[in-house]
Formats: sequence, structure tokens, C-alpha cells
Amino acid sequence: GQSYPGKPKIIRCRSLEKETFSCWWRPGSNGGLPTNYTLFYSKDSEEKICECPDYQTSGPNSCYFDKNHTDSWTSYNITVMATNEIGSNSSDPQYVDVSSIVKPDAPVNLSLERKASANTMYLWAKWSPPPLPDISSNSHVYHYELRLKHEEKEEWETISAGVQTQYKVSRLQAGMKYIIQVRCMLDVGEWSEWSSEKYIQIPNGGSPPEKPTIIKCRSPEKETFTCWWKPGSDGGHPTNYTLLYSKEGEEQVYECPDYRTAGPNSCYFDKKHTSFWTIYNITVRATNEMGSNVSDPHYVDVTYIVQPDPPVNVTLELKKPINRKPYLVLTWSPPPLADVRSGWLTLEYELRLKPEEGEEWETIFVGQQTQYKMFSLNPGKKYIVQIHCKPDHHGSWSEWTSEKYIQIPTDFRVKDMVVWIVVGVLSSLICLIMSWTMVLKGYRMIAFILPPVPGPKIKGIDTHLLETGKSEELLSALGCHGFPPTSDCEELLIEYLEVEDSEDQQLVPSHDNGHPSKNAKMIPKETDSDSGRGSCDSPSLLSEKCRECRTLPPILQTPDVRDVQESKGGKRSWETQCIASEEKIILLNSESTKSSTWPAAQLPTNQPPMFAYHSMIDAQKITLSATNVNIAPVLVGNEEKRQSQYPITETVHSDMEKQREMENLHSKTDQTAVQVKQNRSNDNSPFLHPKLMDYVEVHKVRQDEPAVLLKHKESSGKTDKYTVPGTSKEYTKVSTVVDHNILVLMPDSCIQHTSVSQEPAIETSPNLQQGQAEKNMSYCLTAPSECRRETSGSEYMDPSSFIPSFK
Amino acid sequence: CHTSGMLTPNGKEYAQKIPREELTHLILKLLQAWKEPLSHFNQHHQELPDDSLSKAKQISNMVHELKTGVEKVTEKMQSMGIISNSLNGMASSEAAGLSIGNEADMMSDSDFIHCFRRDSNKVQSYLKILKCRIMPENSC
Repeated sequence: GQSYPGKPKIIRCRSLEKETFSCWWRPGSNGGLPTNYTLFYSKDSEEKICECPDYQTSGPNSCYFDKNHTDSWTSYNITVMATNEIGSNSSDPQYVDVSSIVKPDAPVNLSLERKASANTMYLWAKWSPPPLPDISSNSHVYHYELRLKHEEKEEWETISAGVQTQYKVSRLQAGMKYIIQVRCMLDVGEWSEWSSEKYIQIPNGGSPPEKPTIIKCRSPEKETFTCWWKPGSDGGHPTNYTLLYSKEGEEQVYECPDYRTAGPNSCYFDKKHTSFWTIYNITVRATNEMGSNVSDPHYVDVTYIVQPDPPVNVTLELKKPINRKPYLVLTWSPPPLADVRSGWLTLEYELRLKPEEGEEWETIFVGQQTQYKMFSLNPGKKYIVQIHCKPDHHGSWSEWTSEKYIQIPTDFRVKDMVVWIVVGVLSSLICLIMSWTMVLKGYRMIAFILPPVPGPKIKGIDTHLLETGKSEELLSALGCHGFPPTSDCEELLIEYLEVEDSEDQQLVPSHDNGHPSKNAKMIPKETDSDSGRGSCDSPSLLSEKCRECRTLPPILQTPDVRDVQESKGGKRSWETQCIASEEKIILLNSESTKSSTWPAAQLPTNQPPMFAYHSMIDAQKITLSATNVNIAPVLVGNEEKRQSQYPITETVHSDMEKQREMENLHSKTDQTAVQVKQNRSNDNSPFLHPKLMDYVEVHKVRQDEPAVLLKHKESSGKTDKYTVPGTSKEYTKVSTVVDHNILVLMPDSCIQHTSVSQEPAIETSPNLQQGQAEKNMSYCLTAPSECRRETSGSEYMDPSSFIPSFK
Repeated sequence: CHTSGMLTPNGKEYAQKIPREELTHLILKLLQAWKEPLSHFNQHHQELPDDSLSKAKQISNMVHELKTGVEKVTEKMQSMGIISNSLNGMASSEAAGLSIGNEADMMSDSDFIHCFRRDSNKVQSYLKILKCRIMPENSC
């Protein structure tokens, strides 16, 4: 059935911005027939009833009142009438007050941004006001309100945001997810609806990244370059890095053209982007959720950062030139990227070498050439060699090439080996032969090489006789009257005679008679000034020298040192030589002034030749006190002599100069001139003289014979040094003068000290030592000299004392 | 730097591309541009220690000698036809060099040294390229 339409109902009226409003109604039933709806309104202040100006804008069943029809100060009475063919119906009237129906739309475009400042997180919320259909309408001032809540929680926190379209939300908890909405309101009316929800996750702590640092920038071939940076800590979040640079003189900032070619955390500038002789200002920025940070700027001029690659193609070649030692040639090529051919980049090379086990490298600078010759390598050893290069101007050295091993073949030539073998065989053969000869011919060989010390020249003791035990014969041979010594011998023994002989006397007695000993090198040739070589015992003379005469073999030959002395022409001091072997001519002070040798003595400074003082030691020295040995030992001291005074000595000197010889003065029992040296020519050496004097012990004095002086060795039986102070007696005193040419000396026991106790070679020759009291000793004593000194001059009737200057 | 105004190739390719005459000209210009400032530097820095002073003088001399040498070589090259004779406008460049020299007075010492180092490196590089372009046999 058709009927008139049902009553429409006005559902709502709303104004978005107080300048327009719309009403919507809901139609009732339409009664089965098409229905027309009209809206009538009247303002409060007016009677007039108007119809809706616009049924379209707000959609179906709506009426839109635009600005012209809207009066926000009055209220409207609005009814809607539904009309169909049959009839019409009217809705209830609706009283609308525009101000009260204002409700804006919700704000739009809500955006949230996390920001960090000083380790606290806050949120920037931004939105836009609700859009209005009429763009030309005035900008309305909305009030906004935010609300947020934790995702899981129920309660909203509402924040009034004022009239700004952004708001900073702080006090957010880290690690939470938040929901945020915003709504707005005009000065009248209602709040809009809440905007759609916006979620935001607050990161779980962390911080913006640390400042990265630019490590280095390098160019391998002076055409491109690369920069590397080192990231700082990333603040707990994934961080992004960007490199920015600008060139000298330009403002513009560029970003790195290539982050990948050179690997992570690097930037590669290719040829297009590389300019030389300009300074680049490079920085790196690190960004993460919490923020960002920028490195310090790095300034670089590509010209100065060239570091080439290592050289390549390192090869070795062994060259063996003829007639020369083989050597090695090491060659290499420049790195492939470096453009050496155009001259743009010039490289210099350096190589280093060490033996495989060695510690230290030897570095050799090679320059611009690409080869090197090595001459000085040891064959058989293994070496390691490496090369690196650098540009010839500013730049840095490349890495070293990988190690290259060199092994020199041991060039063991067969020839060398053979030579060595032959040499070895020969020498061993020679050794064999020699040892064999030695064994077989032993003694002879030895004797040949090392001639034995000659036996005693003193004819005195005949060994055979000794062996046979016929003492009497023996002794008689010696000229002793009886053995053991008789008392008178004793007397004589202890007397030292110092005799100065006349010229005629032969100083060297021994050789006249023919020496039994082999060393008849007595002075046959010439008068030996040194004929008076007695034993070395004479303490005085042999002060220094005696020292040297330590180890004298039993048979001693005293070389004729005098010769030497004289040849020197200088003052020679005493040369006391207690020399065992011929060879051993000890020129003790050959050069030096004698004064040095004499501890206390001053050497005479005169030039007159001096006699060498020999401490003769006669190995055979028989200290047979009892025997009357017709030995004429002559002791000659080195002293300066006045030639005039000692004619004999002079002659002797001259002879001496010719040669030196060793002689045993004791050889002959002949008349012996006892020579006393003591040249006291000099004034200067007063005290020397006494020392220099040799004291010979007189065994026996016979009237018809010249005195025989023998060295007496106090120490009987001991072949030691004559060091026993107490026991040694020095015969320094003259007791009487006999026959005008013989001085009889007496012992002086003043020897307190032996200044120089030489180590006498108190070896007794095994042959001779036959229960003799004395052994052959040779020793030089200096003590006596000292002692002598002590004796007052008056007591001592020393010829030297006769000389006034001798004091 | 007072020579920054000069247009110089700043890479290998550019240096190889420009004509040889121009390269030679540039080298000479650079050397000329430093003559005055160097002598000025020496005059005004007598307070340096002796070895530095003598080094500075030495460097001035070397620059001068280098310039003379390059000029001679250029003449020779021109006479041999290796390069053309279009370089005879050196007089004008000398005049330009003088004006440049005045600017040099105002540089600080460290800038001066920095600029000199850079320009001498430029000259060295250009000379080497020039050499290898003209005579490629020797060690190029």
C-alpha cells in the first residue's frame, strides 16, 4: 500500500569550523513511492522560512549551509519534510545553535621522530590541522591535545599540546613501544575525534655513534687514491657512514664516489675525481638511530701520499764470467700500476739481505735501476732477499716483496780439494819422518838442534876420576892438596882477593892452557878484557843482570858481553850475564844506560868503554875451598875504566869489541891474572864500583903465583840463591896487600840484604855434583854491592877506593 | 699561493695531452714566478740560523740554474725542430711574473714554503713528462 512518507528525522547537525554547517536526516519509510525531501529552516530572529541552500555538498540526505547562510550567533529551527505523491510528512523541528555543534575533524599527518640529546631520548611529534573543503577559509586556530600510552598498557596519558602543530615528548621510557594520537578543538565546540594511532618504538638505550677517525689516504700509482677510516663504537645500533669532501678553493661538498671498490670503511677516488696539487678536506659522518657524529677533517694532497705496490718479477741469475768469480744478478720490475714509462712516477728501489739464520738485515739502496749484482755472498749459505720501492720525491716506501731465497752452490772445486789433501799428506809425512828420526837418533838430533850446555871447562874435576872414586887423584888434578879442605884452604877460601893486574898479565888465563871444556872460546883471539870473568858469584857486579841469570844450567858460559857493551860505546852498565847457553847472551842493558840496571848505582857517564861484567858462572865452579885452583878467573866488571889506568883492560876491551864469547874463566889453573876491574874512571859512579866489583874468592894465595880468585859460594850444598843474608859473607874488605899486587880480602859479613838475589841457576850439573860443597852456580849477587856500600870506605881497601874520584 | 692563478694541468692525462710547447712554457713560467719571491725571502730572513739560510740560498740558486738549463734545452729543442718556436712571448710572461711576485710578499712563511714545495713538485713532474715525451728511450 502506498501511503504518505514516514516522518524523517534529523540525525545531526555539525559545523566543522563555525562558518558552515551541515545537517543530516534519516528518511522514514518512503511509503512505497519516490519521496522528496526538503529541509526548511528558520532563524530564531526571523519569521522567514528558508529552504536548504545546498543538498549536495555534504552528501545524500544532508543540507549544507555555507558561509553566507551561516550565522553563528543565532540558532536555527530546522525541519525536514518528506513528500510523495500521496502526502508529506515533517520531521520534528531541530533547534540548532551553530556554536554548539562545532566539532573539527581530527588532525592529520601525525609524524613521530626520535631524537637524542645527551643520552636522553625524546620524541618529536608533528601533525597537520584537519583539512577543510574550503581552502580559502581563514586559518583557524585549533587547540591540540596528544595522548600516548604504552602499547601493552591501558591508560592513556594526555598531553595538551597548545596551538602548535608539533610537540616534544620527553620522559619516554627506553625499550617501550608507544601509541600516540592527537585531536583538536576550536575555541568553541567539541574536541575532534582522535587521529589515527601512531606507533613508535623507543630504542633500548644506546647512544649516537662515536666519532670515526680517518686512518690514512694512499695513492698507489699517483693517479687515483683511497681513504680509509676507522669507525668508533656504534652506540649499540647499526650505523651508517658517509664520506664528504671538498677541494681547496671550492665551497661545494661532495660525497664519496665509491664506497665499495676498496673494501669496507673506505672510499675510492678514481681518476676523474683525483686532482693533484690541490688539498682535499675530507670528513666522515657516522649516523645511527640515536644520532650522528662527524670525524675530524683530514687534509690531503694526493701528490704527497703516494705509496706504490711492491716490485714484481723478482728473478735471480747466476753469471759466471771467465776468469772471474761468479756473481748473482737480481732483477725485478716496477709494480704494474706505476706508470714509469711516461715519467709521471719515478721509483727508487732498495733491497735487503740477510743470511737465513741471521738476525739483522743488511739494507742496500739501489736507486732507480732495476737490477743488482751481488758479489759478496758466501757459497753454501742460504740468503733471504727482499725489495721495496718508493717514489723518488715525497712518498712512502712500499711493502717488501715476498721473501726470495738465494742458495749459493758450494763451488767446491776439485782442484782445491786435491791441493789440500796433498798438503795434508805431505805434512803428516814430514812429521812422521821427524819423529822417527827423533826417536832413532834422538839425542844426536836434539844435540844438533839444541846443543847441550858444554861441560865444565875447569879441568879440575875429572868426572872419570870421580867415578872411579879416586879422590886423591881427582883432587890433585884439581890442584887441591887435600880433600876435604884443610884448614889453610879454608882460610884462603874465605878471602876474596881483588887484584889489579898489570897489563901484561893475561886476563884470560884459561885459554892459555887449553881448556878442557869444549867451549874453548876463550879469548885466544884477543885479550879478553873480560878474562877475569869469574863466576857470577861476585855479588857486587852482577846486581841487575844477575837477576836475569836465573836459570842457568850448570854449565854456563858467560858471553862476552863486554863486547857488546863497548860497541855501544855508551856507558854500559854491568852486564851480568849468567847465561846458560851461548846463545843466550843477555845484553841486559844493552841500550839503556846502565844506570837503569843498577838499582842503586848510577851509571858512570863516561864514555869509556866499559867492560861488561860478566858474572861468570862457571858451571864447574868448584868451590873447593881447599883446592887450589889455578884458575884465574877474571872478573871483570863493567865499569868505566879509564883507559889509562887499566891498560890491560883496554886491550881487552878492544878485543871485546870484536866479539863476545863465553868463556869459562875457570878453565885454567894457569897463572891467572886476576883482573880486577874497577875502572873507576868516573867520578860519577862512585858507588857503582864497589858493586861492580866482582869478588872472587881466592882459594889460595901463593906467593909465586898470582892470586887465584875463586868464587866462593857460601852456601854449600844448596843451589839456591845466594840469598841467605846472614850466611853470605862478602869479601869486601881487604885485609892485606901482598906482594904489591895482591890484595887479600876478608869477609865482610855485613850483608844484610841481598838486594838482588838472583835466582842463581843453581843447578848443579849432575856430572859435577859429587859431594862437592859447591855446586855450579851462577848467580849474580847484588847484595854484596850494597853491603859493600855499607862498609866504610876506609875499611875497604878496594883499589877503587884508591881513586879519589871514586868516592 | 701566488701561482694559483696559473692554469696548470693537474693530472697525468692533462699533462700528457697539452702540447709540448705549452708544457715547456708553463715550466719556465713557474720557475720565473719563483725567482723574485725566493730572493725576497732570502733578503728578509736573515735571522734564520746559518744552515737554513745557506740552504735557502742554495735553493734559490738551484731554481735559477734550473731555469737557465730549461731555457737552454728549450732553445736546443726549438733549433732541432722538436718543438715549435711559438714560445717567444717569454717577455710578456716575465712581466706577468713580476706582478705575481708582489703577492708573494704577503704570504706567511709556512704558506710560502708550502707553495714552493708544491710548485717545485709540479715543475719536476712536468719536466719528467716532457722528457719522456721528447726522448722516450732513456729510462722511460
